[in-house]
Amino acid sequence: MRSTTQLDDAAARTTAPPPPVRVARKHHLLVRLSHWLNVLLLTGLIASGVSIYWASPVYQHDPDPQSGNLDYFADAGIWICAHVPGQHHYPRPPDWIYNHISLGPYMLAPAMRLHWCCVYLFMLNGLVYLAGLLLGGEWRSLLPRVSDVGGSLNMAGYYLGAPFAILGRRHRVHPRFNTKYDPLQRVAYFSVPVAGFLSVLTGWAIHKPMQLSWLAALFGGFGRARVWHFWLMCTFVLFVVPHVILVCADGWDTLRSMVTGWSTRLDGSSTNEP
Amino acid sequence: MSPDQNGAPPQPTKAAAVGRTSHDRFGERRPEIIEVAPANLRRWTRRDLLVLGAGAVAGMAVGVSQLPPPTRQRLGLELLPDNQWLLNKALRFDDDVAEALYSPDRLVPTYAKSQITPLKNNYNGATPDPGYIPAWQLTLDGLASGLRVSLDIRTIMIRHRIHDQITRLVCVEGWSAIAAWSGLKFDDLLHAYPPISQAKWARLESSVNLDADGNPDPYYVSLDLPTAHHPQTLLATHYNGLPLTVEHGAPLRLLAPVKLGLKNIKAITRITYTKDEPRDYWAERGYSSYDGI
Repeated sequence: MRSTTQLDDAAARTTAPPPPVRVARKHHLLVRLSHWLNVLLLTGLIASGVSIYWASPVYQHDPDPQSGNLDYFADAGIWICAHVPGQHHYPRPPDWIYNHISLGPYMLAPAMRLHWCCVYLFMLNGLVYLAGLLLGGEWRSLLPRVSDVGGSLNMAGYYLGAPFAILGRRHRVHPRFNTKYDPLQRVAYFSVPVAGFLSVLTGWAIHKPMQLSWLAALFGGFGRARVWHFWLMCTFVLFVVPHVILVCADGWDTLRSMVTGWSTRLDGSSTNEP
Repeated sequence: MSPDQNGAPPQPTKAAAVGRTSHDRFGERRPEIIEVAPANLRRWTRRDLLVLGAGAVAGMAVGVSQLPPPTRQRLGLELLPDNQWLLNKALRFDDDVAEALYSPDRLVPTYAKSQITPLKNNYNGATPDPGYIPAWQLTLDGLASGLRVSLDIRTIMIRHRIHDQITRLVCVEGWSAIAAWSGLKFDDLLHAYPPISQAKWARLESSVNLDADGNPDPYYVSLDLPTAHHPQTLLATHYNGLPLTVEHGAPLRLLAPVKLGLKNIKAITRITYTKDEPRDYWAERGYSSYDGI
């Protein structure tokens, strides 16, 4: 009798399932899918876009009397090859930028094919993202609030001061919010899809300036629509750099939630820190 | 456990649902909390990370395989097979979209004289020697009459009404120029010398074009007949009020503002109407063949 009870206890100890873990649903499957597809598509769009830019730079200066060069990107390449160690023997300094961030110079035809291929997928991906936002109800967390004007500036100030605080070994408390995103995230995650939409619109304006001349006119005409398109691309780059730095700083839970969809932060807040 | 703790949250009453404010509709919701066995959570995480990794590898392989060979060589990835299938598909799809966007009645914007901008000589190779101009003739082929017709520039200008228009010419490279053009409508030439009834295309050719070293390099473009019929598609004889100079394609060039500049062939020497799509100089070099803008 006694031995049976002991055996039962031992069996219960090894087979009893560990208590379930509570996790919060954070990102809908379609939101995650479109997020990672965008990494690939935006890389293709920017690399091919810079090759297209090469054919006729939006920003030009008077041609250099010796080389005939009129492109600031070529100037930057020449500067890099003259000043960056290890680059002194680079065979074609004016092409340095194009060889490193695009398909390269003299690639207009393949660049345009890649650009069209990526952009049709990018537009479809935008619809996938919107569907995910609607199905998961996440769109509500993205709507900016009036208080975000000050709130996002405060957060930007906090992040800009963070490197100095770390260097000075000063402890600062990360501002805490009871919303999914902090004000700066909300403004950024709302603005970037809008910028994506505007990139598509300006893209169509410069791709079909005759059949869609009303669209080109909306952006100030064909020439100005090209400038808009260029700077919208720059906003993606300006977004992606701190986005990647901050997700690494914020930790594994945040990065994992964009892969798996769930987070262990049950209150839905944006940060682990106290 | 009581059913209250375990079961569904209390149902909202009808009155509450009716009385919802916009804040309730647009306000942020608390996240949905789910309870999962730790083993399941680990399995899901592993599965999702593997799916992402496999997708990343597949996506990059497809992406790299579509890159032009010099770019892949620079990246050290020239061993992967060269396959432009996806990109060629995208190019044709984009051409179909351009063709669907085209409307014979939609006019391109026109500009005032004060908005005219400089237009550079954009001959791809060397500019031809103007010696060809005095003996120049336009040959028409593929006509309903079955005849081959040759016309000199005086005959063309006397027989057809000359129209003026100030439109933008857009280059595939991204630059554009506004210029004043005068010429006959391509549509008028099509009425004067009707093509064979099955014709869907015009092949426009210039035998005087040169490559960068000055050797003969005939230029040829395909033009769909709907575009040829467009009211703003001219066979231009004048640029900014003066007869075309050799730089701008004397004595007759195509001015189709609904197409990219590379379709706007200079110094046309022959027009052939065909049933099938003719060859196109830049389409053979990886660019679009429709080029509608």
